[in-house]
Amino acid sequence: MAAGKGDLTDPKQGSTEAEAIEQAKQGHEAAFEVLYHLHKRRVYSLCLRMVSNPAQAEDLAQEAFLQLFRKISTFRGESAFSTWLHRMTVNVVLMQLRKKGLPVVSLEETLEAEDEAPRKEFGTKDLKLTGSIDRLQLQRAIDRLPPGYKTVFVLHDVEGFEHNEIAQLVGCSIGNSKSQLHKARLKLREYLKFMRAEKAKTG
Amino acid sequence: MKCSEVERILSEVLDGASSGTFPTDVDAHVKSCPDCSDLASDLKLIASEARQLAASEEPAPRVWLRIAAELRAEGLIRDSSIIDSSTRDSEPAFARPVIVPVPVPASPGWRWSALWLAPVAAAVLAAGAYVIGHKPAPQVAKLQVPPPAVASPAQVTQAAPVPAAPQQVAKKSVAPAGGNVNGAGNGNETGPAVEAAVEAEASTEDQQFLSVVSTLGPSTRATYENQLKAVNADIRETQAYVDRNPQDVDARQHLMDAYQQKALLYQIALDRIQ
Repeated sequence: MAAGKGDLTDPKQGSTEAEAIEQAKQGHEAAFEVLYHLHKRRVYSLCLRMVSNPAQAEDLAQEAFLQLFRKISTFRGESAFSTWLHRMTVNVVLMQLRKKGLPVVSLEETLEAEDEAPRKEFGTKDLKLTGSIDRLQLQRAIDRLPPGYKTVFVLHDVEGFEHNEIAQLVGCSIGNSKSQLHKARLKLREYLKFMRAEKAKTG
Repeated sequence: MKCSEVERILSEVLDGASSGTFPTDVDAHVKSCPDCSDLASDLKLIASEARQLAASEEPAPRVWLRIAAELRAEGLIRDSSIIDSSTRDSEPAFARPVIVPVPVPASPGWRWSALWLAPVAAAVLAAGAYVIGHKPAPQVAKLQVPPPAVASPAQVTQAAPVPAAPQQVAKKSVAPAGGNVNGAGNGNETGPAVEAAVEAEASTEDQQFLSVVSTLGPSTRATYENQLKAVNADIRETQAYVDRNPQDVDARQHLMDAYQQKALLYQIALDRIQ
């Protein structure tokens, strides 16, 4: 699974994880904490990118880990532990978004966004991002994305999920996932160019 | 091939072009069209930079503290013995397990010496509430304000000072907050000296805390020390920011969170000891 691109490939680390999982099943606190530290950055970053609110992201990361630890005795190793955890995290976040009535991926969002979709201005200069993007600016641009776009973009481009997985997770078609990703990238490009122009003005 | 067609399929083509090459017809157009060429390179750039954002953020230490507290409350932690040394030796540097002690037979004196952790934890919370509930004031005046001592959670959320109960403990715990809240730029020449004294007192408090915890074992002490350093650094940095931006509500809330985290640290230690 693509989401496992950042999985534990270091045998030493993988061995640590496997041992920690077994000890966590026995209820060892230290083992729970090893697992937490191995995955905390990935889980928290995913939550933060999706909700753009640090306090809420902490709550969601906490919930994701708790759900995982409650079920750890059922983990049999058929899939990678990190894959299991990250899917669980995505589900926790999506559940929260749905509870708040925010669109995960919606038709309305797609149509509305199509109307507002950035257009290429052929013949004008300065269309290119000049080969580098400031990470902070990229984070801010992602934060500004409409929720539906943000979900697909974060899951695909940041977390590495494939479109078929995204479609399954959020309950949309593969085509819809592809379409929203493309529009999200176009929107991000416009935001980033706008930010760069603003920075040039002020600075 | 038209620009609009290329734009429509570009993302998909990019995702599929792992080798970095496009299908022939798209490639021909992109090479001959500067706008589409720019668009293709920008979209590629966005996608590649986005990948760097995975696992880029570090959660605050309080997240683990809350999880651990919940796991204990739910009884999922059944064995607090130390994870075996072979596992610990192979752990990456960032994986610092909280080594929970094998239940230590606590002597009466030991239990007694730990009792001060409870009011200190509450006082740390009260200190946080006090800090965020009051605007910065001249240093001398602030030092004369009787510090809040112990607050219930409800009182803390209302940022209401309460009558001092274990006054001595409370004063010690509140001192760092009271000292730091004065902040830079208030023009008070005694500031650095007072802050230094306050830092020293806070450090003494933490040292006492660690000395109690160290009876649970060197690993436990090291873990608590790391957590304490992290939360103190968080408090210090946030405090400095709040001093510069006293109207920033989010920053004040973050400061309160940091104090709550420190209080939680004390409380967890107390739970383990008792």
